[in-house]
Amino acid sequence: MTFHEFISDRMGKIILEIIILAASSGVLFATGTQPGIITLLFVLICLIRITVLLIDFFKSRSHLMELENILSGLNQKYLFAECIPPQKTVYERKLFAIMRRSYKSMMEAVSDTEAARREYREYVESWVHEIKSPITAAKLICHGIDPEPRRRLTQELALIEAHVERALFYARAENPEKDFIIQEYNLEEIVSEAVQTYSTLLMQNNIRIETENLHHQIYTDSKWTCFILGQLLQNAARYTKSSKPDYKPRAFLYTQDSPVVTISAELPTKRQLILTVADNGIGIPAHELPRIFDRGFTGSNGRARGGSTGMGLYLCRKLSDSLGIGLQITSIEHEGTCAKLTFLTKM
Amino acid sequence: MPKIMIIEDDPAVREELTLLLANEGYQSIAVTSFHNIIQQIKEASPDLILLDLGLPGQDGLALCAKLRQDSEIPIIFVTSRNSTADEMAALCMGGDDYISKPYNIPLLLTRIKVVLRRSIPKAEPDYTEINGLRLNPTKGTASANNLTTELTRNEIQILAYLMANAGKIVSRADLIEALWNSKIYIDDNTLSVNITRLRDKLKELGLTDYIKTRRGIGYQI
Repeated sequence: MTFHEFISDRMGKIILEIIILAASSGVLFATGTQPGIITLLFVLICLIRITVLLIDFFKSRSHLMELENILSGLNQKYLFAECIPPQKTVYERKLFAIMRRSYKSMMEAVSDTEAARREYREYVESWVHEIKSPITAAKLICHGIDPEPRRRLTQELALIEAHVERALFYARAENPEKDFIIQEYNLEEIVSEAVQTYSTLLMQNNIRIETENLHHQIYTDSKWTCFILGQLLQNAARYTKSSKPDYKPRAFLYTQDSPVVTISAELPTKRQLILTVADNGIGIPAHELPRIFDRGFTGSNGRARGGSTGMGLYLCRKLSDSLGIGLQITSIEHEGTCAKLTFLTKM
Repeated sequence: MPKIMIIEDDPAVREELTLLLANEGYQSIAVTSFHNIIQQIKEASPDLILLDLGLPGQDGLALCAKLRQDSEIPIIFVTSRNSTADEMAALCMGGDDYISKPYNIPLLLTRIKVVLRRSIPKAEPDYTEINGLRLNPTKGTASANNLTTELTRNEIQILAYLMANAGKIVSRADLIEALWNSKIYIDDNTLSVNITRLRDKLKELGLTDYIKTRRGIGYQI
């Protein structure tokens, strides 16, 4: 609050006081009081009034600043009304009581919403766990049937699995409760778990994977990292240069078009490791690159091929942000896409 | 024949798993009533337990902890709960391995084999011999007619898989799948190249046409 604001708040009163002062001076002058005495009185009253005003100003400014400090010190700002010092005047007390009632009803609404969201998350998680049993049973049944229907069913089951996994991580990522544990892991083990998990989708698209220099330890959560890597691998498998899934690659024997994913690590500093997942697929148009992490953004590639949800990279960004992993994607259209994940190698 | 006990509440998974393990040459016992599991385990005394963490009415972890008080039977947790916290809790309670549903079946079988090998040390011969060719995967060599040649990792895995399925026709897709399960992530082209090189090496040993091509279907030894 500036002095100007303070004064303009009280302008009406001040003008009234000046009028009263002028009127009483006039009355005194008319009744024969000497002008010197009137001037003396006038100056004296003005000085007292100005002093009182200044004291008032500094008092209310420091009071406001105190409240401001309390508010900025609070994590949950809506708890403000519960944390302020007791009020001095009846008027203030009444004001704050009204505020507190309004806060209370808002807090009830907030906690209701939070409970509903937690319940929903719990339901999604338990649903995901429930659905995994029938998928497992279906996979086991598949194992015993003829190769051709088995392969096709396995592919469909792998797609179902991938969608289910995304739903689970969506529920996890959208909620502030952190349920990951950062530990030391071997990078190679995490990469091979991710590749194995999504192997059906990768093999179906005839992808070759080359790994390089992965014998390092990193700090992360293995499940979350596996999921992130899985999304990147799925994108690599989906956006290869050959759009026909059943194409016979032997015609291209070792041309540049045969889809390859290269997973490699480098250590730019002692504490950092950069994991690169690079493919030689169709790439992303430059003007779409800034939006690839947006929720529901499918881009021209996604629309052209269909079946794109626009959730994969959005979830990657959210999860990597909560884990504290750096995630950058660069791409050259028609040449390939390269994702770089930055991990810590020391805590 | 190793005895594997399946403790799993989903009837479909339980039945299929029992069938699968029986086909893989294990003696499988499925628990169908979930009272007194400890006693059932002690009566059956299996070599390995596949334990689901989400059993009706009780906690798989608590069961494991109770069992661990006086038994060292290896336990593999099979569960649909897929978080690091669950995995850590399971391994801290004395589980030997942890695999999440829906699992990759070859991977499950590999894990079972690894855990069993740890607990029942068995002197397996370190080579396979079929039709006059001896493959030694640990040394990375193949020999026939008193000649020996060195093989690459990919070639060993291809040969090992074909030999393990000797007599059967193995499709290219099956072969690629088997290689992926051994962490060799190759595509169709690379497989062709590897097979050609492998055949050349076998020819040097005096084995021409050891790996037969079944046109349009796959390979056969």
